[in-house]
Amino acid sequence: MIEIKQLAKKFKVENPKKLSEQEKKDPRLKGRFFHSVQNVNFICDTGQVLGLLGPNGAGKTTTLRMLSSALKPDSGSILIDGLDVLANPIVARQKIGFLSGSTGLYGRLSGRENIEYFGKLHGMSKSAIHQKIEELAQLLDLYSFLDRRCENYSTGMKQRVSIARAVVHSPKVVVLDEPTTGLDIMATQTVLEFIRTLKKQQIPVIFSTHHLDEVNELCDTVTVIDEGKTKYNGDLHSFRALSNGSLHNSFMTSIEKG
Amino acid sequence: MWLVFQKEIKELLRDRKTLFFMVALPLLLFPLIFGGVAYFSGKAIEKAQTRVLTYAVIGDEYAPTLSAKITAQDGLKRYVTKIQSDNVSAITNLVKSEKVDFVLVIPNTFNDDILKIGQNKLTLYLNDAGLNMVQRRLNKIIDNLAESNRDKAFISLGIAEEIQQGLLEPIVIDKISTADKREDLGEKIGGLIPYMIFILCLQGAMLPATDIGAGEKERGTLETLLISPISRNQLVLGKFFTIAFAGVTSAMVTVGSLFVWGVLLSQGMAIELITEFMGAISVLDFVLMFAMLIPVVAIFSAVLLSMSIYAKSFKEAQGYMTPLVFIVIIPVILAMLPGIKLEGIYAWVPLMNVALAIKELIKGTMDYMALIPIFLSTTAIAGLLLTFCIYWFNREKVLFR
Repeated sequence: MIEIKQLAKKFKVENPKKLSEQEKKDPRLKGRFFHSVQNVNFICDTGQVLGLLGPNGAGKTTTLRMLSSALKPDSGSILIDGLDVLANPIVARQKIGFLSGSTGLYGRLSGRENIEYFGKLHGMSKSAIHQKIEELAQLLDLYSFLDRRCENYSTGMKQRVSIARAVVHSPKVVVLDEPTTGLDIMATQTVLEFIRTLKKQQIPVIFSTHHLDEVNELCDTVTVIDEGKTKYNGDLHSFRALSNGSLHNSFMTSIEKG
Repeated sequence: MWLVFQKEIKELLRDRKTLFFMVALPLLLFPLIFGGVAYFSGKAIEKAQTRVLTYAVIGDEYAPTLSAKITAQDGLKRYVTKIQSDNVSAITNLVKSEKVDFVLVIPNTFNDDILKIGQNKLTLYLNDAGLNMVQRRLNKIIDNLAESNRDKAFISLGIAEEIQQGLLEPIVIDKISTADKREDLGEKIGGLIPYMIFILCLQGAMLPATDIGAGEKERGTLETLLISPISRNQLVLGKFFTIAFAGVTSAMVTVGSLFVWGVLLSQGMAIELITEFMGAISVLDFVLMFAMLIPVVAIFSAVLLSMSIYAKSFKEAQGYMTPLVFIVIIPVILAMLPGIKLEGIYAWVPLMNVALAIKELIKGTMDYMALIPIFLSTTAIAGLLLTFCIYWFNREKVLFR
């Protein structure tokens, strides 16, 4: 289970003159600081898939980066199965599998070596890594290209290896930051299939997206963030009930209401 | 830490471009440069020496002996002209128009008997820019005549042979240098070696440094690496050692190649000189040179890594690193200046002190006490920079720009 409470993060503005017009109008800009995330709360239970929605610049990526311990929040708390991420970042990292849409691979290493490297960084034994790779290769159909260099992979191949790399250490939670953005239909399908597999294994998944059809297909709960604040928290059913039309309307309603 | 190091090295070794610049280029480039320069300069000199020169002599009737000797010389071709000796512009134009390679003007006062006339003055017009060897070839003829005229004069004056030597060179200095060959040669090339090693270390470290920091950011692998359960110190050290290793390897390969090919291509005498020179430097001195390079390379690596991780892309990283070369060159160039010795304050200036010490070690005049300030100052700075690098790697502002 993942619990996020009153998460906040501000960034110092180095050069206020450089900000775009839109950024200057943003109410989150206060003096020398830009309060990117102000108050984000959500809970994701075991076996649930949580969809994180919000317009560009709403603070989704910042939230997920804090969750993955890449960034340190200014206030608030993050608990994974009761363990405080902020107090034990290194222990918490072993419980999280993180993948973003812009994740790359080391081009001069083969897919297998990429996965192995992260397995080793997670302190896994050689045989455990080998076994896990076999398992993942079967699941994600990696056999045909696993031992070739990554630089020649297609986008879909890269994404599949990235997924394998993100879960090589059998994480307790999987966090995906816009995992389907910029992917073709086939590669997107691979990612969605993978989320379904995780769900079957009772692993909670949090993913941010702009595609409401993905939410409709996969999510149990929905969280909407706008201007760094949680605007909506609830299950998919009540989210749909927000307006009698499509999910798009529900999304708009949730933002206007909040 | 070793995990990161191993993986970075593995990746480095698979990068053909980096390997080419680090290993293949120095291995092949030096023989090409050496061989090419030797071949072409040899050719040019040979051509200048054997080429047939066209010439004109004005006033040859005043010096029949000299004229006869010039005519008898191989490789010279006479160009007949009626220009008078006082018409300087016409003579100059003749040379400029490349009709002749040189014009020799003999005055009407010319006389082979020195006792009657004193010094004879000839005028030579030539284009002296570039390699032409005109004067050297002409001197062979004229010196010959001058000597025989002089000898005739001595004989007619009745001067004994020992006195003749005294008249020509009243005082001769016999120079005995207390500096042995090693010190002499060390002074000449000793400043160049640290210069070369420093720049090569820096260059060799630069490519992997860009790849390891800015490259990870650009490819999007950095974020994943940061959230893997490895502490930042370990991560930085792994990357730091990779850069340092690459820098040292590249410098060693280049210096090694330079040395081997230099020995192979130089002539027999030079080989003797080099082997004698190298033999005079003790193993301890070599070890010391290498030991001093370690903190220097550490300084380079820490600075390069900090720059690289700050940059958003390869391009930006390269932009930051290029000025570094100039900054490194300055203390090394200062160390090459003749008046500056490994004493006092200079022993504390980083990079410069190591450059000076390497020179001293090569010369064999090292004051081993100077090693204390050298190691203290360079190690302290290297440690400081590495600490900064680790601090830098913990800054969110640096990692997520």
